[in-house]
Amino acid sequence: MGKYLKIFQTSLINGFVYRLNFIMWRVRHVIQFLAVYFLWLAIYADNNQLFGYSRAAMLTYVIGTSVLRSFVLSSRSQTVGVEIASGDLNNYLVKPVSYLKNWLARDLSDKLLNLLFMTFELTLVILLLRPPLLPPASSPAAAIFIVAVILAMLLYFLFSFLVSSFAFWYPEHNSWPLRFFIFMILEFLAGGLFPLDIFPPVVYNFFRLLPPAFFLFQPMQIYLGRVDLAGAVGLVAANLVWLVLLYRVSRAVWRKGLKIYGAYGR
Amino acid sequence: MSVISVKNLKKYYQVYQKEPGLTGSIKSLFSRRYQSVRAVDGISFDIEPGELVGFIGPNGAGKTTTLKVLSGLLYPTSGQVQVLGFTPFDRKSQFQKQFSLVMGQKNQLWWDLPALDSFILNREIYEIPPANFDKTLKALVKMLDLKDILKVQVRKLSLGQRMKCELVAALLHSPQVLFLDEPTIGLDVVMQKKIRDFIKNYQQKFNATIILTSHYMGDVRELCDRIIVIDHGKIFFDGKLNTIIKKYATHKQLEIIFANPITKDQIRKLTRAKIKYFDPPRVVLSVKKSLANSLAVKLLKNFAVADLNITEPAIEDIIRQLFGDRELA
Repeated sequence: MGKYLKIFQTSLINGFVYRLNFIMWRVRHVIQFLAVYFLWLAIYADNNQLFGYSRAAMLTYVIGTSVLRSFVLSSRSQTVGVEIASGDLNNYLVKPVSYLKNWLARDLSDKLLNLLFMTFELTLVILLLRPPLLPPASSPAAAIFIVAVILAMLLYFLFSFLVSSFAFWYPEHNSWPLRFFIFMILEFLAGGLFPLDIFPPVVYNFFRLLPPAFFLFQPMQIYLGRVDLAGAVGLVAANLVWLVLLYRVSRAVWRKGLKIYGAYGR
Repeated sequence: MSVISVKNLKKYYQVYQKEPGLTGSIKSLFSRRYQSVRAVDGISFDIEPGELVGFIGPNGAGKTTTLKVLSGLLYPTSGQVQVLGFTPFDRKSQFQKQFSLVMGQKNQLWWDLPALDSFILNREIYEIPPANFDKTLKALVKMLDLKDILKVQVRKLSLGQRMKCELVAALLHSPQVLFLDEPTIGLDVVMQKKIRDFIKNYQQKFNATIILTSHYMGDVRELCDRIIVIDHGKIFFDGKLNTIIKKYATHKQLEIIFANPITKDQIRKLTRAKIKYFDPPRVVLSVKKSLANSLAVKLLKNFAVADLNITEPAIEDIIRQLFGDRELA
């Protein structure tokens, strides 16, 4: 445990070295948020109730997914593919350290940095835009929401790790083309642009149980109380099932990948 | 019992072949021809505790691949490999805590942080007791004269300084087995010498078992008693450095300092020996072993000679001869 704490710490210090990089990333984030926010504000200009969402609920959804994006979708584990392709993975494979846990520790440090900035930005947004923010539906809902967010982080982490393993088979691509393709669709399937229940029921019922739905959409449903408590617990259970499944798959893929791994570079 | 034991190790890679140019690239989008490359093709050797063995061979001979298999990075195509009683590819932490792999062209240090941060991270990863860590670090820093640079961002260090820090990072857990892949690559002669002395020192102090590959014959000559020559994934020679010189050196060198002016023709009249170097008064001739003594006598009889030496050829020359005209690695 101590070693991963140290990795967390070292990664955090390292994060401060890339101040400019980080600030740019946050600026992009804020702009993305403002675009979606004002779009929805315009859509609700003449109505208070659309797509089954009140104006306040929709704006809370938009702000909420933006906050969640900072935690859940802020994974640095895309570097994994690059490390496989360049052979930098060697550094970890010769040491008594788990590569997966190493990246989890580094991801968490990254999320902590994001949390700090997010808090600042959110305060600013609330002060300047005075959006109609809704509180969590109930205290149990709030508690389940927090659990759902933590699981969402883990799920996204494993997902991203799995995509990176592509580089074992196609090192010349270091997994970027696949990543780009997948993550464009992902944003949409996660409910990052609009809530998934806007879709017709058939489509919605399919999308809502896919892993991406658990990244942003489902936690917000729990927060807003759009599912009852039993439903919320059910969603957490479904997330857990995906988590176990993805973990098993990535382990198997890594075991196979390491056997053909070329340990490139000198 | 040997520390490292390799039996009939093979490692084949699948590589795809691309024809040159744009047409080749477009073709390769649709169909790829794969070819099996035999990086290591059935090698066997044993290494005893405390041995310092040099791997030499041309580029692409299979040296680095062998080290990568021994470190557990590569999964062998076939054969048995044991290091310290472990199968490397299992990557057991008990095994990993007892060895280190240093690659001259790869770094493990965090680029944007001072080296000390990476050292402390390794302390945690290898679970080194703080007291041991402090003692080892102090000793290493002293041996390599690193005191002033520990707190400088790694990216701002010179190549030599960085290599020293890489060595420290690799040795903090006092490994018994050390794989050094080109540890002196790109360094100037002074720094090469320092690293070399350090490796020798470390090996004697800790009775470590070391395998070293190097482009510089100086490294091998100074450090290794035993060398393993690899070419095309096969072992070409395994034994004492002296033995390879005796076995493969068919010629000796005569170095003569003449007392009076001399021309090439005068020498050619006397002997068919090859003139390797001609810059009077210093001349170096290469002559068959059996003829060396008689030629020396002839030279002394016919010319005024200030100095005469008969020497074995340099190891570089022997290796070059062994591998023909191919690039020496």
